Amino acid sequence: MSTAAREFERKAAEKSADLVHRGIVRWNIDQYDTGVGRGKTRFADWEAARQRCHDIKWEAVNHLDKYLLQFEQKVKENGGHVFWAENGEEARQYICEVAKRGGVKKVVKSKSMVSEEIHLAQALEKIGVEVVETDLGEFIVQLRNEPPYHIVTPAMHLNRQQVSKLFHEKLGSQETQDPPELVAIARRWLRKSFFSAEMGISGANFIIADAGMVTITTNEGNGRLSTSVPRIHVALTGIEKVIPRLQDLATLWPTLATAGTGQPITCYNTLMGGARRPGEVDGPEEFHVVLVDNGRSELLADLEQREVLHCIRCGACINACPVFRNIGGHAYGVTYPGPIGSVLEPRLLGLKEYQHLSFASSLCGACTDVCPVHIELHHHLLQNRRNAIHEGTHSAGERLGMKLFRWTMMSSGRFSFFGSLGRTALRMIHGMGLAGTALDPMHPWTKEHAALAIPRESFRDLWRKQNGSR
Amino acid sequence: MAAADNPSRERILGRIRTAVQTLGRHHDGPAGPMFAPVTDPLDRFQKECVANITECTVTANAAASAAAIANVLASLPPGEIFVQDAPELRALVTSFKDGRPLRWSSEGPPNEASQATITLCEALVAQTGSVLVSASNGGRQATVIAPAHIVFAKLEQLVPDLEAVMARIHERGIATKNSYVCLITGSSRTADIEKILIMGAHGPRRLIVVLQTG
Repeated sequence: MSTAAREFERKAAEKSADLVHRGIVRWNIDQYDTGVGRGKTRFADWEAARQRCHDIKWEAVNHLDKYLLQFEQKVKENGGHVFWAENGEEARQYICEVAKRGGVKKVVKSKSMVSEEIHLAQALEKIGVEVVETDLGEFIVQLRNEPPYHIVTPAMHLNRQQVSKLFHEKLGSQETQDPPELVAIARRWLRKSFFSAEMGISGANFIIADAGMVTITTNEGNGRLSTSVPRIHVALTGIEKVIPRLQDLATLWPTLATAGTGQPITCYNTLMGGARRPGEVDGPEEFHVVLVDNGRSELLADLEQREVLHCIRCGACINACPVFRNIGGHAYGVTYPGPIGSVLEPRLLGLKEYQHLSFASSLCGACTDVCPVHIELHHHLLQNRRNAIHEGTHSAGERLGMKLFRWTMMSSGRFSFFGSLGRTALRMIHGMGLAGTALDPMHPWTKEHAALAIPRESFRDLWRKQNGSR
Repeated sequence: MAAADNPSRERILGRIRTAVQTLGRHHDGPAGPMFAPVTDPLDRFQKECVANITECTVTANAAASAAAIANVLASLPPGEIFVQDAPELRALVTSFKDGRPLRWSSEGPPNEASQATITLCEALVAQTGSVLVSASNGGRQATVIAPAHIVFAKLEQLVPDLEAVMARIHERGIATKNSYVCLITGSSRTADIEKILIMGAHGPRRLIVVLQTG
């Protein structure tokens, strides 16, 4: 078992037993479910919306070179810069260079999961640049020195008391149980940063080929301020975020909003195609787009899992996942939690170390049912499991065990022999008073659950007795 | 950026080109309209404004619009007002004496402490009760910086739905002429703490649309 897997098991056990944490997450997801239920009633046909989103992303991902080049050309025509980064290291280096060249001391960031993926903030801090997260949830987890808990709701795991205590300790504000006051404290604090930062870094929900623009979706307005006030704007995004046409947003914006939060459309859907133009009142002097590959082109080459690149990061699969609902976002120990992360992270970080995420699922398929772009998430979890086995990452003992299991299951005679042997042995062990102890073969079950009574007869015996035939 | 400075570009593109020679699996499902058509845009716009907490006032003529704007300004604390420098807004805002200092977009971006900003817009969307603005509407900060944002619009700017507004952006070259375009729906909000909806996170607490029909 890998170190990451052991850590995952430890945290998952700890978090699923933490009743306060479970209560907070349940409350949040109940609110989400109610909102999404209401949101979907605004659509004449939600299934048609999913299909259209799938069609758009399919077209883009299967002609990725064409649309990325079109996007790049348009951005350059408007005086912007486009940098292609093979991995996190190249992206970090480029952005740090831009910061150094521009004499940047402070960066305001609006939400970007790619920046988490490549650990950008740490790299900037290393060269002496202060990084301020401006999305309220991100700001809260930054103050706690934690990664985001969820890709849409980064501070989902905290209640108002915890936020109040945090602000009191870190910002020196008065303790308050009033959420609007907590928001006002953050607003006042962050406002100073917007006007003193030299660089704003945003993600991109989509990049639009025919317009050469990036679009970000926010409710708070922090994304707008981060990209309007500072002298330099850097948009950091994955290569898979491109879409062919501006017109596609009429489909994607409302569907992303409804799947993400239940809203009919998010408050601010902003399109940016460059630096301030001659005659414009304000805006940055420099505009950079950093396109990050970081394993995405390898996923593209895998026909079985290519559609994982269709993901629009709405978080619906995460909210629907019974595993997430119990263990929460931090137990996963990776940037993207929940089903999408359990598919993606083992691919990006290596099956050997991270395959356990693909195994930590009941394969119930709730994720696939809610995905607004029709990614068959639970099938991809299963494929990762198969690939992990084929790569031979399992211990010799486990491989032998599975071979024996298979051999037993292939014959009804062997099956009933070993079944009867198992029942007899268990009864003897339990007869010696070892039931429930660490020596009990049922211990992995009984340490978390009530013991099961060992039946005297097999199902087959019972069937024969009641029905008189085989 | 010269190609030599970014060798990864060709490597990434090379891998993409090889990969997409074979098309991926396509999911086939029902194709049809996502939304029911909007039949009465003005009525729908007003209803959506109520739902998304935009204050919409429908006025019959310029005098009524000026009165509606004066009315909003009277409800605000003292302080500077920023106005997009456009002939319509010059006429409207100078028709009443509010006594506040005014800053026009031709003088530069708004002051951080502005009490309100007054701008025109590129379009209104009935389906979602949204306002489309661009850098031409007084700049980027003009529509996000102050606690109150007042939009003056004419009825002919109202389009039925999102498809229509995207088409309008295309037809009028709005995304070509501007470095910045934003579709605003309601005022700034957050639900990051316990999913409780709170208005006025970083942007305006109040979004006011004065929609003139005549």
